Amino acid sequence: MSADITYFVLFCILNTLFAVLISPFFISLIKKVKAYCQGRRGPSLFQTYYNLFKLLKKETVYSNKSSFIMRIAPYINLIFTITAGICVPLIFIPNTNFFVGSVILFLYLLGMAKFFMAVAGLDGASTFGGMGSSREMTISSIIEPVIILIFVAFAYVLHTTDIHQMITVSSNIGGILFVKPALFPLLIALFIVLIVESMRVPIDNPETHLELTMVHEAMILEQSGKNLFMMELSSAIKQTILMAVLINIFFPFGFAKTLTFSSALIAMVWFFLKSCILCIVIGLFESSFAKLRLFRVPHFFVLAFFLSILTIIFEVFA
Amino acid sequence: MEIVISQQALIYLFSAACLLICLGIIISLLFLKSNKFAKNSGLIIILISTVIFALISSYVLLKNIPLSFTSYEISPLLKISFFVDRLAAFFILVISIISFCVALYSFDYVNHYENPKKRNLLVFFMSSFIISMILVVCSKTTFAFLFFWEIMSLSSFFLVMFNFEKEETKKAGLFYFIMTQLSTVFLFIAFLILAIQKKNFLIDATLFSSPILLAIFLSCLLVGFCIKAGVVPFHKWLPYAHPASPSNISALMSGVMIKVAIYGIIRFFMLYNSSLFFGILILCIGTISAILGVIYALKEHDIKRLLAYHSIENIGIILIGFGLYIIFETNNLYALATLSLIAALFHTLNHALFKSLLFLTAGSVIMETKTKNIEEMGGLIKQMPYTGFFFLIGAISICALPPFNGFVSEFMIFESFLKSSALVSPMLKLLLIICVSIFALMSALAAACFVKAFSITFLAAPRSEHARHAKEVPFLMLLSNAILAGLCFVLGVYSYPIFSLFGLNLPVPNLMIVGIITGIIFIAAYIFFLVFASKKERVPETWGCGINTQTPAMEYTASGFSEPIVTIFRGIYRTKKEVHKEYYDNKNCIVKEGNAEISLFNFFELYIYMPVVNFFSKVSDLFCKMQNGNLDAYILYALFGIVFLFIYIGWFT
Repeated sequence: MSADITYFVLFCILNTLFAVLISPFFISLIKKVKAYCQGRRGPSLFQTYYNLFKLLKKETVYSNKSSFIMRIAPYINLIFTITAGICVPLIFIPNTNFFVGSVILFLYLLGMAKFFMAVAGLDGASTFGGMGSSREMTISSIIEPVIILIFVAFAYVLHTTDIHQMITVSSNIGGILFVKPALFPLLIALFIVLIVESMRVPIDNPETHLELTMVHEAMILEQSGKNLFMMELSSAIKQTILMAVLINIFFPFGFAKTLTFSSALIAMVWFFLKSCILCIVIGLFESSFAKLRLFRVPHFFVLAFFLSILTIIFEVFA
Repeated sequence: MEIVISQQALIYLFSAACLLICLGIIISLLFLKSNKFAKNSGLIIILISTVIFALISSYVLLKNIPLSFTSYEISPLLKISFFVDRLAAFFILVISIISFCVALYSFDYVNHYENPKKRNLLVFFMSSFIISMILVVCSKTTFAFLFFWEIMSLSSFFLVMFNFEKEETKKAGLFYFIMTQLSTVFLFIAFLILAIQKKNFLIDATLFSSPILLAIFLSCLLVGFCIKAGVVPFHKWLPYAHPASPSNISALMSGVMIKVAIYGIIRFFMLYNSSLFFGILILCIGTISAILGVIYALKEHDIKRLLAYHSIENIGIILIGFGLYIIFETNNLYALATLSLIAALFHTLNHALFKSLLFLTAGSVIMETKTKNIEEMGGLIKQMPYTGFFFLIGAISICALPPFNGFVSEFMIFESFLKSSALVSPMLKLLLIICVSIFALMSALAAACFVKAFSITFLAAPRSEHARHAKEVPFLMLLSNAILAGLCFVLGVYSYPIFSLFGLNLPVPNLMIVGIITGIIFIAAYIFFLVFASKKERVPETWGCGINTQTPAMEYTASGFSEPIVTIFRGIYRTKKEVHKEYYDNKNCIVKEGNAEISLFNFFELYIYMPVVNFFSKVSDLFCKMQNGNLDAYILYALFGIVFLFIYIGWFT
């Protein structure tokens, strides 16, 4: 039992540190891919790290209309996103996780982070923040049934509601997609969720600061300095862990079976390579779409909804 | 150390607490004209007796020793007797916790009524309301049940009518009275059927002679309790009654009274139902209530109506849990059935806690700003920091965000949905999948709604003079809020140990571990920023796109916030937007003049309530013509009656 606890603590530390350190890289990588698609050279692959470092050294500006919410929201946003990261193993899976790997817990921890981000958006008494919060909450509520349906489908196929166990089961049978090719629509649905939750084109454009097209950026427009650092870092981490859900359930290769230095290193390299491929796919996907009008967005979700319910119907009646 | 209290002692204690509240009722009526005495003594008595009730019920709940006793016998058949088992004890515990906090809140809250007589009357009705709810829950006979049910309905009606001077209150009161009596009518029919079957009035398991009679009995019960619980389509009285009544009463009605109806559903369906059909029915009406409740709430700007619609939503969630229990129970999946039943019960407690917290804090805000419209609030967190903080905790709990209590119960419902692959029937699985996706949508929309409710009320710049001059409320009001907020947190974080205390081993995440992890990450992050981040700060004006001073008119409004969602769900709201424009040119470019109109289409009132009302008014018109006041007409009726009787006797005997 005590060995299990040690393993769990080690897992938490390793998983969190790895996720925090690696995630800014993926943001830059997607930017680079998009730049290449547009015929530019794009910023350096480490640009996001430089940006974050710059933000850390800048002064923090609070509006005189804002309250303590503005000061605590970035912290809550960051720490709950990082906590959600523990629900998704990146490099190795501990024997026991004390039920913290549950799907619903994972989603609602991210929900808590989003709640405070949205509340902080309205705190500055600016028009943009409210607009961003309103749009983000709309989009995230409409996508919620799709996310749940995807995990219902996983629960039906893998007979568990725990992400850790889902990945274990999937890796034991050698990759769920290779055993049940019928689950391919679920992969597409999960990809759509990844695009939506990390606020990318066609839902939102992370590069824009044009008032009418901003969603996520409008919400954090009032943030600055170390608070903006926390917001930026937490959205990078969120993207990484959502990518990890997709990668590790569908392609569960290269996990460290026993925790040694070399096996952990190999697992990290594996995860890094797989995520890089996914980032390139995201970049290409973003480059080949135009941003949708806000009220067209639900149509995009219906596609994901249809795909996931199709998979479930196959599973139920098979 | 083991504390053992005999059953008899508990019964004496229970009766003593009941008598104490009755004493409070009498005192507040006797000293109706006193300035402070009646109010204070009445409230103190409520505080003491609710503590006693809470202690008794938690003892019964922990030790699982049911109490049963008869207090008054009119005739051997008509007995007023009580029975407190674990289910009843649980509901008594919920009622007494909420009543305690509401009574604590009322000490200072009722002072904003100038007339001392009115204050004392409020306490009088409140005491009778609380004691009647407790006695409904532990009634052993249908006779006692209906008796206390009616006292509960009547005292709550008087409380709704408390601000009777206002025009809207009269309408709300009438609406509430009709709905609540309608609910009693259905219960009456159901209990008559039961009495015919059993030949006595006891509430215990019986075998029904015919399945049709059982179905009629259960349907009547379901309709009766659903009207009281405010389930769609019987929900309309909630958004009328809550804004009209005082806020402490709203907290009691929404937090506790509608839970008494839930108690009725759970008690009677556990005793008599064994069919899958009612499980599916309850699941479906629960799902519809949950989603419609939150969708209507999003559109509301009256803070109390918004909360009232959220009550409808949460009652829906509780019914979803109970419906799942029946479905799993009839499919012999006992572990899942226990999980969903505990989820329904735990959500009952949780909803009582956070909804009364929200109503009480909203009451403080309304008292200070003199308005219920959130568009006229704003910036209150600076003037009322504690109230704002407690409202935030209530909002987070009702949005089911970890680590608060709402999360745990919604988690359990999700968990039982996700594990439904153990069911055999594929159609049933499909139904559950549709329900879980609606449930997920509802839960996310609730978060959107409370981002709106909290932010527009408490954040940014004040939108009106009253909001600018609001002050923090007195200590006792804050203390009662603090107790409720603390319970929301404790029941969330310590849910796992609490469940094990009651011998329940449920697959819920141990939020204590999550809390510890979050805490460690917070400390690490805090130290990181303390060491590495720049400490420079600046507090300037919000950037207003070049305009020097930012006015409240530039803030995002509540209607603006919910506009995207309202547009997406316009099919459900049935909003009609009509825009007429006239142009100077024939290419329709330069607008000369125009008008726009947004009309709301009140589906339930127009298509469900009004036809019923019209039908009954036509029937009563008919009777009105018969009862015309002429003595000779009445004699004629009597003659017809006698002739009819003779013919009947001649033919049939």
